[in-house]
Amino acid sequence: MGEETTTLGGIHISPTAVATIAYHAVLQSYGVVGLAPKNLADGIVSTITREPLRGITVRYKGEDIDIDINIIIEYGTRIAAVAESVASAVRFHVEKALGLHVNSVNVHVAGLRISDSD
Amino acid sequence: MSDPERTARVKKFRRLPIDGQSLKRLIEAGLIWLRTNQEIVNSLNVFPVPDGDTGTNMTLTMQAAWNEVKDSGVRNLGEMAALISKGALMGARGNSGVITSQILRGFSRSVNDKATLDVETLVKAFGEARDTAYKGVVRPVEGTILTVIKEVAIATEAALGPVKDPIEMLEVAVKAADEAVKKTPDLLPVLKQAGVVDSGGKGLFFILEGMLRHVYGDSLETPTMSLQPMSAMNLQGALEEVEEGQDYEIVVDFVPLGELDLGSFYGRLEEMGTSIQVGEGEGMYRMHIHVPTEKRYEPIDYIMGIGTVTKVAIENLLAQMEEIQKSAQIKFATVEPGNIAVVVVSPGQGLSKIFASLGVAAVVAGGQSMNPSTQDILNSFENLPTDKVIILPNNKNIILAANQAKEVTVKKVFVVPTRTVPQGLTAMLALLPDGDLEAVAEKMIKAMSAVKTGEITIATRTVEIDGVSVKDGQVIALLDGKLALAAESVEQGVMDLLEKADAGGYELITLFYGAGMAHAEANRIKDVIRGKYSNLEIEVQEGGQPHYQFIISIE
Repeated sequence: MGEETTTLGGIHISPTAVATIAYHAVLQSYGVVGLAPKNLADGIVSTITREPLRGITVRYKGEDIDIDINIIIEYGTRIAAVAESVASAVRFHVEKALGLHVNSVNVHVAGLRISDSD
Repeated sequence: MSDPERTARVKKFRRLPIDGQSLKRLIEAGLIWLRTNQEIVNSLNVFPVPDGDTGTNMTLTMQAAWNEVKDSGVRNLGEMAALISKGALMGARGNSGVITSQILRGFSRSVNDKATLDVETLVKAFGEARDTAYKGVVRPVEGTILTVIKEVAIATEAALGPVKDPIEMLEVAVKAADEAVKKTPDLLPVLKQAGVVDSGGKGLFFILEGMLRHVYGDSLETPTMSLQPMSAMNLQGALEEVEEGQDYEIVVDFVPLGELDLGSFYGRLEEMGTSIQVGEGEGMYRMHIHVPTEKRYEPIDYIMGIGTVTKVAIENLLAQMEEIQKSAQIKFATVEPGNIAVVVVSPGQGLSKIFASLGVAAVVAGGQSMNPSTQDILNSFENLPTDKVIILPNNKNIILAANQAKEVTVKKVFVVPTRTVPQGLTAMLALLPDGDLEAVAEKMIKAMSAVKTGEITIATRTVEIDGVSVKDGQVIALLDGKLALAAESVEQGVMDLLEKADAGGYELITLFYGAGMAHAEANRIKDVIRGKYSNLEIEVQEGGQPHYQFIISIE
């Protein structure tokens, strides 16, 4: 739930903080060339966003965290393998930094960027 | 293969054009050589990383590329490269596999319209492989496989001109890859900390080297003799893998008389035993081997012949195995009706055994990051034939649950708020089973404050607390539950901690070593401590706790 009660008081970890950690994990993942806004209404113009919350949704469900990520992948890479490493990198970094359990990481491939066609 | 044979073979290679079929053979050689050395690559993974099996992933990716072309008779270089690229893409596994497939894709696109490979084409293809690999990531991390392909591209571009044939250029590429891999720890601190080079980069090196070995006609099936940094030697978990003929574990530290010839060194050791590892650090070498009983002195005698032996550790693995199997059963104290029963929370099998030997009636498994519930604690004593119970939580986060257990039971319970295992052990010494519950608990509380507790563990994140700054993965030491210092090694952490605790003014130091620590290593550290605190009694006990390399009692 992103909240922890200690003898000193409460600690609250905002979804933005979680999203920021996830964002950095995503950008270091091989094959990902950008994040995409959650929906078209969010921004038709910028398909590649530098702002973490535009492409990442974090939800708390009881004790668990659910993360949704919208990514753009480099054309020519194996999409399943890239998505899988994104999911595991995000889970790893969020759990390591926050010590909270990540229930699910859903990776949505919002688009492909074609640098070179074969 | 003898030198003249090799020269003849290389000559033949130089004469023939490198077409699709030659490329196919080179890819096969890269795959086989990588597969042969797969475990070396896997062992380079820095704990903890999400992509934990680089060698396997890269091998499977190369395997997929090979499967695509192994039955193909295509002679055209470009067509063959396209098939290889397609196979790698379809079979890419893990981060490193995806990057490998991108490198092959760039290579393939570059040679697309070529029938054979000349030196210019090869250099251009390495460049294109690099560009394609870098396009796949927003924030390239240097000190990885990406850096290695980059350095290969740069070195081959620079060599174009003087170097006139593709085989010679491949030699340039392999050399550049080797150097780039060696430099990765300077670019990526996490590698330096772990004392390893980048695994993906090393994998790429093996692929390229395999191709060159194929040209030379060198064997692709025998793994490289590896010499690793001493800190990276994996001497733990040996007991789980004991097999027939591995009765003794021998570890020898030595300084060779001259240059150590790894090839013949390994060769000689292989005649004696298995699980051979050789490590190097500061001019010293450490050799590790498992040998059958009758050969237990052979490695030592052999090494004495080639250098100066500084230290030998011999462990009887068979006897230890039996010991472990025997001791799996813990015998708890039987509680007389009406007497006091002590229940403790213990983080490890070894510690539970020690507690049992001190007269504990029941143990609840738990500790750091695995706190038992109130119910777990309750269950441990509800069925004991007495209504007088003392609970030792042995961890500050469990005191609360212990107190709750006290609230919900009808039995008369005292929680002696021990915050560490050594406090719990010391408290146990004050137990009088037929004494007055309150008086005994008082005595225990008094006794537990006489001991200092040190704990050695590895930081799981970068942080600064109480003026001590700690990097992720560093060894840290806690004194009575407070972060005391950070260190570069377990040994240094222990020594600095003892210094900080003024251990010299005490009498007994007990090291309880954790699940991830080898007995031999614990003993070695004990010797280091003895060297400095010669007037103190020093004991080593198996604690078996996770996370903590050592729990140290200073009393």
